[in-house]
Amino acid sequence: MKRIVSLLLSLFFACLILPSQGDVPMTKWGKPSLQGNWDFRTVTPFQRPASFADKEFLTEEEIEEFEAAVIAGREARASADFDGEYDQQDLDVGYNQFYLDQGTTMTTTRRTSQLIYPENGRMPGMTERGRETAAYFRALQSRSPEGPEDRNLYDRCILGFNAGPPMRSGAYNNIMKLVQTEGHVAIMVEMVNDHRIIPTEDGGSDLPGDMRLWKGDSRGHWDGDTFVVNTKNFTHLSRFSGTGQDMVLTERFTRLDENRLEYMWTVEDLEMFEDKFTAVVEMQLTEDDVYEYACHEANYAMPLMLSGARKQEASGEEDDTWLPSWSR
Amino acid sequence: MKTQKWLIRFGLVSSVTILFYACSQEDITDNAPPEPLSQLNESGPPDLSGIWQAVNTASWNLEGHTASKMPVTTILGALGGIPAGLSVVEGGAIPYLPDALAQREANRSDWTNLDPVAKCYIPGVPRSTYMPWPFQILQTDTEIFVAYEFGSNSRTIFMDRPGTEAPLPSWMGYSLGRWEGGSLVVNVTKQVPDTWLDASGNYHGPNLVVEERYTLINENHIQYEATIDDPDVYSRPWKITMPLYRRIENNARLLEYKCVEFGEDLLYDHLRKDYDGPKALDGSLREEL
Repeated sequence: MKRIVSLLLSLFFACLILPSQGDVPMTKWGKPSLQGNWDFRTVTPFQRPASFADKEFLTEEEIEEFEAAVIAGREARASADFDGEYDQQDLDVGYNQFYLDQGTTMTTTRRTSQLIYPENGRMPGMTERGRETAAYFRALQSRSPEGPEDRNLYDRCILGFNAGPPMRSGAYNNIMKLVQTEGHVAIMVEMVNDHRIIPTEDGGSDLPGDMRLWKGDSRGHWDGDTFVVNTKNFTHLSRFSGTGQDMVLTERFTRLDENRLEYMWTVEDLEMFEDKFTAVVEMQLTEDDVYEYACHEANYAMPLMLSGARKQEASGEEDDTWLPSWSR
Repeated sequence: MKTQKWLIRFGLVSSVTILFYACSQEDITDNAPPEPLSQLNESGPPDLSGIWQAVNTASWNLEGHTASKMPVTTILGALGGIPAGLSVVEGGAIPYLPDALAQREANRSDWTNLDPVAKCYIPGVPRSTYMPWPFQILQTDTEIFVAYEFGSNSRTIFMDRPGTEAPLPSWMGYSLGRWEGGSLVVNVTKQVPDTWLDASGNYHGPNLVVEERYTLINENHIQYEATIDDPDVYSRPWKITMPLYRRIENNARLLEYKCVEFGEDLLYDHLRKDYDGPKALDGSLREEL
């Protein structure tokens, strides 16, 4: 009897958690519709905070507590008094709460982190090669730039800081448009006004190894109701969280219901990291538009940075504080 | 009498000949777009999905032009010239107002420093269509996504929000589409005045309205028309017409032309360490050092 009750309860909860197929909008050609504008803002930490230790999921109360703490932290930052003196930390606050748009809620996975592999929710260790490469770029971007190439790809408006691929919630503009036809899927992330066109089936032969693309070369296929995208042929400068040009990215898009799109991705780059890593978030369908983020067209920062660097040189000043605050 | 008969015969023959030539001439010079494919098969709106490209020199100059040198011919030689081309403008010339024509000439005289596309800025509409890079159309019922290889730019043509207005100006503007027979008609408004129409200084103001018409005339060709109106700059609306060709290679696909890294040379060269060349663009920053 106990077994039957237990089985019935399990089925009941499974029904609550798993979406029924009827909730998923379908295309004319019989695949789940992924089309729409998707909001991937979340306050769920990318890596599991130490305070959560081995805890993988949160209760509703714990989620409310966490979200309240995040909001309180922002309010404290916004209302901090300026004492008239400034230091580097003040300069780093280039964007106040008016500009930041990181959302106010955790992703609906109820997980303690976006990373789900390694199991501890933390990034795997870097290889020696990975550490050396990271140190090189860190040193390069710490010094005053000799030219635009010395700055990171986000300063140069070549890639978006949250657009990857893979996409990951960042400071603002955490929204993407997905347009779906039978033969192709287009993904356009507002940051920075860029797109990927992904064939949904036979995408032709792979690009040769010496053809490298900033966003890599993406090919898709359907695995049941999940759209799977494999991407490789990145440039050595693309560097998602310290990866190299041989990174292989696998993204899985699964429509869960009318409003949610599960986005799971795995990065494999054993040259730079000792293990692969996997993250998952649930994007929310939004009525908001994706706007044109004309980053390069209004990149006033780049000529100012370069002219500032030339002024420093002219006055004999050495400066190694050019590393962006968010990457320190 | 014989003379009369001869005259009648001559007249008949001449009339037939003239009619024949008139019809032939009409076939040759008729600029009206061919009948849309969908009107032929009555199967509803045609599917414009695919990779397309203009094959002409309109991106250099919409008006007719002979081949000419570019500043880079000293480096690239014959690879660095501008190819000749016939006008794609109906009537041949763009009907500028007098002051606007003077502005066009000023733009042209300092083209390499002023052309926004040389800096890798978003080309806007219609210029994006006839740049010498392909673009891809993904067509759905509610929106048509157009992805351009140049700069990895894109725009959305909204099919489900007639009568709405752009929330704010943008480089690509606000595109509202509708089907008229077999043609996709797109009304483009609210483009920033910073874009040009080609690499010859042809330009517009903030009140530009472009009405594009994409007509699939057979499986692999679109007849593209754009009517361009801006009463601050032109004396009347004017029209460009050109075919677009489907890229039919089995492995046809959009690649990346992230032009930022190329535009950086033009924009920031004078701000590089140890730069010792001519001042590019705003040399005043250099003077301040």
